[in-house]
Amino acid sequence: MIQRLFRELRTMPKFIYVLLAITAFGLAIGLYRMVVGLGVTTNLSKSFPWGVWISFDLATVALSGGAFTLAALVYVFHFDNLHAAVRPTVLAGLLGYSSVLVILLFDLGRWDRFYNVFLHPNFSSALLEVSWCIAAYSTILFYELSPVLLENSRWRRLLPIIKKFTIPIVIVGVTLSTMHQSSLGTMFVIMSPRLHPLWYSMLLPVFFLVSSLAAGISMVIAGATISYWLFGRSLKPKTLAKLGWFVPWILGFYLVLKFGELIIANELHLPFEGGLYTFLFWAELIVGAVIPIILFAFKQVRYSRAGALFASLLVIAGVVLNRFDVTWFAMRPVDGQTYSPHWMEVAILAGVVAAIILVYSLVARYFPVYEETVAYQRQPRTIEQRRLEEAHAGAD
Amino acid sequence: MAEHSSAPRYGFLIDVSLCIDCRSCMVACSVENEVPMHSTRIWIKETGVTGTFPDLQRFTGPYHCMHCVDPSCVSACTVSALQRNEDGIVTYDRDVCIGCRYCMYACPFEVPNYEWEEALPLVVKCDMCFARLQEGQQPACATTCPTGAIKFGKYEDMLNEAYRLIEENPGKYVNHIYGETENGGTATLYISPVPFEELGFPIAGTTSTAFSNRLVTEGTPLVAGAMLVGLSGVYLTIKHQKEEAEAERREAEQQKAAGEEE
Repeated sequence: MIQRLFRELRTMPKFIYVLLAITAFGLAIGLYRMVVGLGVTTNLSKSFPWGVWISFDLATVALSGGAFTLAALVYVFHFDNLHAAVRPTVLAGLLGYSSVLVILLFDLGRWDRFYNVFLHPNFSSALLEVSWCIAAYSTILFYELSPVLLENSRWRRLLPIIKKFTIPIVIVGVTLSTMHQSSLGTMFVIMSPRLHPLWYSMLLPVFFLVSSLAAGISMVIAGATISYWLFGRSLKPKTLAKLGWFVPWILGFYLVLKFGELIIANELHLPFEGGLYTFLFWAELIVGAVIPIILFAFKQVRYSRAGALFASLLVIAGVVLNRFDVTWFAMRPVDGQTYSPHWMEVAILAGVVAAIILVYSLVARYFPVYEETVAYQRQPRTIEQRRLEEAHAGAD
Repeated sequence: MAEHSSAPRYGFLIDVSLCIDCRSCMVACSVENEVPMHSTRIWIKETGVTGTFPDLQRFTGPYHCMHCVDPSCVSACTVSALQRNEDGIVTYDRDVCIGCRYCMYACPFEVPNYEWEEALPLVVKCDMCFARLQEGQQPACATTCPTGAIKFGKYEDMLNEAYRLIEENPGKYVNHIYGETENGGTATLYISPVPFEELGFPIAGTTSTAFSNRLVTEGTPLVAGAMLVGLSGVYLTIKHQKEEAEAERREAEQQKAAGEEE
């Protein structure tokens, strides 16, 4: 048994070892944090009770939005030709949410009684809504993924039963996602005195929901393209182009909402005041919305792997910056005390991220995650083909 | 429910003109609650030294939980560890708190602090010396204050006293009782010879931030229900359309096949 394990390990790509090392180090620091508390291991303070962990959580949940967007498109709206993208996206989503749950446990001061979330709920708290929805939705993602894990096992006779309930479960999952994606924005509705007016709005829940749709789709496109280069397995360019088609509409809607809100709140002068906040505001919107809208509007970009990847990465960067702005950069410090993360905070975060990539790689290796797309595999190119291509490129 | 909150029963009246920055209140708080001096539930806000020599001025004032009528922290707390009781005291249940620190962001007065150095920390927040009140005593800080800067009593009496002091001493105080309307009204009231912004008091609106929070969170179940119905409807409609289209296609094929046979 152990011999077999070692043999398997030896056949793995070398980056697995790097990931293992980062995970182990992060885990060790994480245990240290559990023993000594937050004071020694973080730079959190009265001024910034939440730090880079919360920023990471919000960004990760937004990027995992692909899972519910795709589930809604495929199962509810019957976009059957997108079906092949569901499995890898659900896996990525499940791992994203798991990492958020792990990080939250490190973040909770009294992690030893996290279960009070279920025993003593306060239904007017946005954070309660978020935690219930994330807990329930992670379970649903696991359900959606279970056929992948069971397909080649002796439990496969459960598959018909699982399949029978897929549609209702998916509909509940999409609802839960809509709820918590927006509730993450609701969390900041109570913080009008703290959050800079360029970001503060009663519409924050809607902003968060809409931007998570764009971020989720972009993650599917980026993930598929990267897996094409790394593993030679991916989705059809047509599937990706179809997904990319949605992005300009979503981001356009986002821009209309964002500026509409500024006009109604009579804050339209704020984006032109100059300074750090103005810079962050425009960086978010130009990099994360305006340029991707233009790029994705072109058919050539949607069908080109490099083009679609570039545009998707811009959207992802914009949404991640937005979540960091709301939780950190645009948050007014108390008594002028600023925040930058302690190295241990970063080490724990890096450990969790490495663990996620590790698990994704292992599951993708041993389970039929890309099964439906196996027909679309990159063939190793022969020397003749390569010569032909080079000659062709030279002729252009 | 917080929407139907009653006026507070007890109140503080803190007179900034009387505070001499002796910090006895902090010592009293530390002893009463058995906490170290760096995590007392009361601390001092100050203007810093202002004016030009030799006319220098410096004002200080003790600062602790305002005990809002509609507290933002209570509406934010994930696990209902923060509650407003029938006397208008915002209490903290140390056996329930999970340490999410949302209250620290929710409070517009920047009051809740955290035991950062503890392995299993708790939130640091004034509970109006709830235990002492039950024994018929006043809060430790009010009992200890040597100049009478911290007064404690019935809320109405404190509010009337504040009005009286401002009216009977024209020019001594700015015409503003901090806490009368801040964040929807609070049990702690301040009068001061200098504007409150100069003391570093947060500028709070007259409606509690808990109100806008409830506006969104209490509508959520409705939205969720609507979504469940809507999504199911969309699913069934499209499924039905597809099935009909499929049936029509088959019928057409059969007719075509029948036509060819003839």
